[in-house]
Amino acid sequence: MCRPAVALALVLACVTPALADEAMAIVRDADRFRRPADSFVWKITITSQEAKKAPSVDAFEVFVKGGGRSLVKFVAPPRNVGRSLLALGRDLWIYLPDAGKPVRIPFSQRLVGQVANGDVARADYTGDYDARLVGEEAVEGVACHVLDLKAKTKDVTYAAVKYWVAKDDRRPVKAEFFAATGTLLKTGTFDEFKEAVPGHPLATRLTLVDGIRKDRRSVLDYGEVVVRDIPEKYFDKSSMKSLD
Amino acid sequence: MRLLVAVLVLASLVTAVDADEREPDATIWPAALRVRGRLAEEFAYRLHDPGDVSKLKTLGWLEGKYAFSEAVNLRAAVRGWYDAVFKATDRYPANVERDQEASLSLREAILSVSHGDLDVRVGRQQIVWGEAISTFVTDVVNPKDFREFVLPDFTELRIPIWALDATWRLARNVTLETVWTPDTMHNRLPKRGAEFQFAGPDFRFRNPVVRLPDDEDEFSLARSEGGFRLSALREGWDVSLIYYDQADKNPVFFQRRVPQPPRPDVIVLEPRHPRLHVVGATLTKSLEPVVVRSEVALSVGKRYETSDPLDGDGVVRRDTLDYLVGVDFPLAGDVDAALQLSQKILTGDATNLARPGVAGRVTTSLALRLTTGFFNNTLNPTVLFVVGVEQADFRVSPRLEWVLSGSVTMAVGADIFEGRRRTLYGQFDRNDRVTFTTTWRF
Repeated sequence: MCRPAVALALVLACVTPALADEAMAIVRDADRFRRPADSFVWKITITSQEAKKAPSVDAFEVFVKGGGRSLVKFVAPPRNVGRSLLALGRDLWIYLPDAGKPVRIPFSQRLVGQVANGDVARADYTGDYDARLVGEEAVEGVACHVLDLKAKTKDVTYAAVKYWVAKDDRRPVKAEFFAATGTLLKTGTFDEFKEAVPGHPLATRLTLVDGIRKDRRSVLDYGEVVVRDIPEKYFDKSSMKSLD
Repeated sequence: MRLLVAVLVLASLVTAVDADEREPDATIWPAALRVRGRLAEEFAYRLHDPGDVSKLKTLGWLEGKYAFSEAVNLRAAVRGWYDAVFKATDRYPANVERDQEASLSLREAILSVSHGDLDVRVGRQQIVWGEAISTFVTDVVNPKDFREFVLPDFTELRIPIWALDATWRLARNVTLETVWTPDTMHNRLPKRGAEFQFAGPDFRFRNPVVRLPDDEDEFSLARSEGGFRLSALREGWDVSLIYYDQADKNPVFFQRRVPQPPRPDVIVLEPRHPRLHVVGATLTKSLEPVVVRSEVALSVGKRYETSDPLDGDGVVRRDTLDYLVGVDFPLAGDVDAALQLSQKILTGDATNLARPGVAGRVTTSLALRLTTGFFNNTLNPTVLFVVGVEQADFRVSPRLEWVLSGSVTMAVGADIFEGRRRTLYGQFDRNDRVTFTTTWRF
């Protein structure tokens, strides 16, 4: 009587880690569609829209280097020029010219429109979340793995993410982002896949829609990418003023 | 002379940089040159009798940066203003008009050079230490311009100095910054009769008093100042230790009696800037979505005026500990809140201290800032409330910013002060004002 139960437990004990490894491998592969190299510069334009309002456009230049480091320079509109964000792993600062110094801020704070600081400054789901494969589902005709991502620590942008990844090439397709309370904060869709870097297809558009007010949306367009080594000083908060 | 020294140091640094750190592409000058600026019209109306315009200032900033390469760049900024209030009203005396009517100043002239893990910035600059907003606990390097109290932006309040600022990256997320400056400028205080003239020390002399001018040379190698900041980031804890050797940027009035027989002795008040050794630390930690920050600074050698008639020079030493603990957190409805507690603690008795704003041995302040945004952050209300706990004096500054376009913003606001006459905010009880500012950035 107890033999099948033991066998089942053994099977589960072997299968569960294997499934978790598979889930993490899927997330890792999907991350590659949002990260062209270990060290690169990426230009991002964010268009924020709201019903009956003229859209606003913000532009950024993002310097990314291994170890979860990124520097986001605000390049438009003129009222924001001079600001920058520095992410060192799970730590984030903003440089405000009016204050004249870097100030520590949370990743979840809103950057513009529906975009949180972490949406631009950190795109490492593999490092930030534990993944669990929960099923399969088609999104607009694309067969997808469905994954539940749970934040490894409280220091990340979202407490949980429901993530749809294409089964064929493991590109990210859709994501729902949740607060710790379980509230849906926003929904994201990834598209406009292009070889912005030769031989490396990338998602060059992410559309974020507010979880409650569906008329509020922000479109992140990823433009020119330059793969190059970036000096260490770009990732030192004491250099943020001189890099302005 | 100081310009010559600066130019020589800059030239030697440029030539020291390795040629291989230069990027030929960046030397195409239109791409390497960046120019930007802003023009602002600032209007303020004083609410109390006599209610009148107190500011009609046109302010312009122009700054440029030229990148010789990724390792070397030169930046310069000038600021100019003209305040028409001195022509529009006759409320202010001539000395205030001379001091505040117009200004043209070099705000920045910095050569930045990077070589490996070393970054050097030489020139006229602001060097900002500290983690908290709207406070100066460890922001000790630059003198401040208090001619409009603490109401302008902090980059406007800080007076740039000629300095050498070098940063070494000792290891990943560990840096050592050293600063040296012969530019020993003091805080700039409002003249007698100015809108935000500070209440002076509470002297009660029966004898005639002569106050000497505060005219110490502001550029001195012998009295040069300097210090270091060691910063480390580990497991999300951002910690720094600081030491800075400087002259007190506020004057301390030393007394001496000069016999004038047969007439009574004359009391001579001589402003001096005693040497201070500032030892401090800062700390921040993000506990998503909350950020905790703290600063502490011990000023060794700090001196205060005393009204004790038995004290020979009218000044006592009270080493002073300043600290703050702050927390930033989101409230419901997209409101960001920042709550900050700060204290100034004097080592020793504070009974006869004559300086306004020092409530006693312990002076406590509590600040709350609330900010939010409506209509895709095109309408941004902010309110700052700061209260002195012991004397219940306070400041409330609501402000509503309207983003008209990517380049133009308008803001209406108010600065309300309440409290007893000799408290930090109460001294401006009659200076409540409403403000209107238009800013164009390019």
